[in-house]
Amino acid sequence: MIKVRIPTPLRPLTKGQGEVESAAANIVDMIGSLDATYPGLKNRLCDEKGDLRRFVNIYVNEEDIRFLNGKDTSLKDGDEVSIVPAIAGG
Amino acid sequence: MPDLSIPQHILDQIVSHARELAPFECCGLLAGVNKTVTHLYRITNIVAVEGAEKLSTFDDDKVAHLERLSPEERAEIAFVMDMQDFSAAKKDIRKNGLDLQVVYHSHPKDPARPSHTDIKIATDYEEIWQRINLPIPAYLLVSLMHSPAADIRTYWITGGAVRPADVHIV
Ligand SMILES: [Zn+2]
Repeated sequence: MIKVRIPTPLRPLTKGQGEVESAAANIVDMIGSLDATYPGLKNRLCDEKGDLRRFVNIYVNEEDIRFLNGKDTSLKDGDEVSIVPAIAGG
Repeated sequence: MPDLSIPQHILDQIVSHARELAPFECCGLLAGVNKTVTHLYRITNIVAVEGAEKLSTFDDDKVAHLERLSPEERAEIAFVMDMQDFSAAKKDIRKNGLDLQVVYHSHPKDPARPSHTDIKIATDYEEIWQRINLPIPAYLLVSLMHSPAADIRTYWITGGAVRPADVHIV
């Protein structure tokens, strides 16, 4: 299984859970399957074309998927995925 | 020994960035080695991009406030870093063997101290830094409220508490 860490602003969609699991083989499938369980998640993370929105990053084991294969980055058992919201302030 | 040493020319670049973007907030990163800043990375403020206010860790009041404003007006009271820019900066920081040291942003009309929102988001972000293999940075604020003078102050924000950082200007 893959551990997926959910940031605070998305926890209302995951019933308050900060960590969920996935068995997906890549990031696109992971987002798709999480969205089936937690509707609305995909829309927060991806634009209409399915590309990662500019105000979010996804890391696989501390590595930015923008430096890997983007949304096609493959996943394997034991990987840890972190969904990271943009640094922000007021 | 100061927490950080920042060259005057880097502070000048932060003020220039803030003035160029005023009345909107600017944001960026400082990196260096051995507690001395050597590099500045400007990051685009994308708070006006649709949905950005929802995925940031703004609290409900701030989101409601932002949603009452036009996209342009949002950038006067908030910033959201473009994570494409952030990723590019992070890559350059690593390539050059530097450490991320400071997250900076401007307050065009407010004092150079962290807002309620700044403190909340920095606190939420504490657990994220280590997960993305970066140290917890200091937070530098530049205020233009008494323009043309610029006031620059730097803080550590941990566990919801703010304390001034000891910065040496070199
Ligand atoms: Zn602020």
